[in-house]
Amino acid sequence: MKFQIPIGPQHPALKEPISLRMTVEGEIIRDADLRLGYNHRGLEKLAEQKTWIQNIYLTERICGICSHSHTTCYVQGVEKLMEIEPPKRGQYIRYLVSELERVHSHLLWLGVAGHEAGFDSFFMYTWRDREIVMDILETISGNRVHYGINTIGGVRRDLDEQQVKHILDSLAILRERSEYYQHLGTNEPSFVARLAGVGYLSREDAIALCAVGPTVRASGVPMDVRKDDPYGIYGEVPFEVCTADTCDVLGRTVVRIKELFQCYNIIEYLLKNLPSGPVAVRAPRRAKPNEVVSRYEAPRGENIHYIKSNGTDKPERLKVRAPTLGNYAATIKMLKNGFIADVPLIFAAIDPCICCAERAVALVDARSGQERIISMNALKKLSRQVSAGNARKREAEWPL
Amino acid sequence: MNDQMVIDKAKASLGEKVLEITNPAPRRIFIRVKVDDLLAAVGWLRNEMGFTYLVTISGVDLGQAFELLYHFANNFTCVNLRTEIPRDNPVLPSICEIIPGAILYERELQDMFGIVVRNIPDGRPLVLPDDWPAGNYPLRKDWKYERPPEVIPGGKK
Repeated sequence: MKFQIPIGPQHPALKEPISLRMTVEGEIIRDADLRLGYNHRGLEKLAEQKTWIQNIYLTERICGICSHSHTTCYVQGVEKLMEIEPPKRGQYIRYLVSELERVHSHLLWLGVAGHEAGFDSFFMYTWRDREIVMDILETISGNRVHYGINTIGGVRRDLDEQQVKHILDSLAILRERSEYYQHLGTNEPSFVARLAGVGYLSREDAIALCAVGPTVRASGVPMDVRKDDPYGIYGEVPFEVCTADTCDVLGRTVVRIKELFQCYNIIEYLLKNLPSGPVAVRAPRRAKPNEVVSRYEAPRGENIHYIKSNGTDKPERLKVRAPTLGNYAATIKMLKNGFIADVPLIFAAIDPCICCAERAVALVDARSGQERIISMNALKKLSRQVSAGNARKREAEWPL
Repeated sequence: MNDQMVIDKAKASLGEKVLEITNPAPRRIFIRVKVDDLLAAVGWLRNEMGFTYLVTISGVDLGQAFELLYHFANNFTCVNLRTEIPRDNPVLPSICEIIPGAILYERELQDMFGIVVRNIPDGRPLVLPDDWPAGNYPLRKDWKYERPPEVIPGGKK
């Protein structure tokens, strides 16, 4: 008999409302289905009614963890529409915050992966060290999550000598800790055994399903917008694209740990070569009718904004494609024919808990394909009915 | 591979099918094709030029027509295929045969613009809620949101 297990959209273990429906046969997932739309916020429609400046703060609220990614993607597009170029120092600070955000997002992911793999001390260590990055971000911008540092034409806050020194000192600690995680994450036998081979996504599938970010890089495709389509200052900063060829969750962990080191190098480079001068230029209120495609490598993958202006102070159209949407098709592929116990790991980034899954299951009669939803109590009753005639243990005859 | 090479090859291979080709910024190429030639253009990009990665599909309401932009990218450049479909007959061919990853974006287009995607492998709603009233397509310019009056249960009538 095939079961359909609905998870979400309202679920104590899900941080975000997403609905997953998995058809399982025993322990094996035969089919997975995804449904969005529980909480469609209509941001693209709303953006058409707000001014260019107001939209910075709107796009910042698309996501909590990669809030800076969306504003940067948006402002670098709008700057092209308005034909202004932010000063060098402003750009350096903007992309410095980008890389710090990537560090905090990857450390968060590592912790979640450790937690889902049952390695909770790893989770606690990484999240403790993530506080170092959060503190840096707080000293730079005044905020821990929504930094509000971007503006059209540059950034809103400058860095001083003391802050630069504080960041460099903290970076030394982070680097040391990350080396420890690299050693642990790739050598600890039980951790490696839990991650290796889980959520397999072949190179061909990753390409065909248009996966993005560390997911596609872990399948051996060196795709990184910072390298392929260098925006901002990435044309002049030395760094490498990190890939892995194991195509599984272990590969994705390795890619993220390697990227942490690249981030530290970029941050160090940016701070040591920080130019002097102003951090922002004045931006006009209107933009001429034009269009722009702005691409940005967020921690989870490519983020793209298509912005069209019509000569007023409001955009004609703002299309946002966040990286997670790009990865859904690939996630469904990874879940299929996997084990139900691997779902949390594969879905680690959105962190569901399967053990405490819904108290309602949909029964699919394998013969007729009919579907009905019953409560847990009714299911218990049904199982008692079905097994009423079976021999009980105390009545069973001892075989010897 | 650089921008000029892609432009030259597009002119050579697609010929008459290319209505307009522009290169407003480095690594940004916009190619306009007719909707009937869309599949041919996508197939050419995917199979001959190696643009395997569809970033997303953007829809724009132009009033009398819908404009669709298929953003493709590879390790060198970003090509945006542009096509238009009339508003009174918004039908679009599905490109999932060529690029399976396009499914989510095509479902999104159906929900948000009311565009009918022909031959789509899975045409169920994706981004809007289950109880969304039929015939309401939020990203059309003439669609306005009206907040329903708040009713407090047990409140004054």
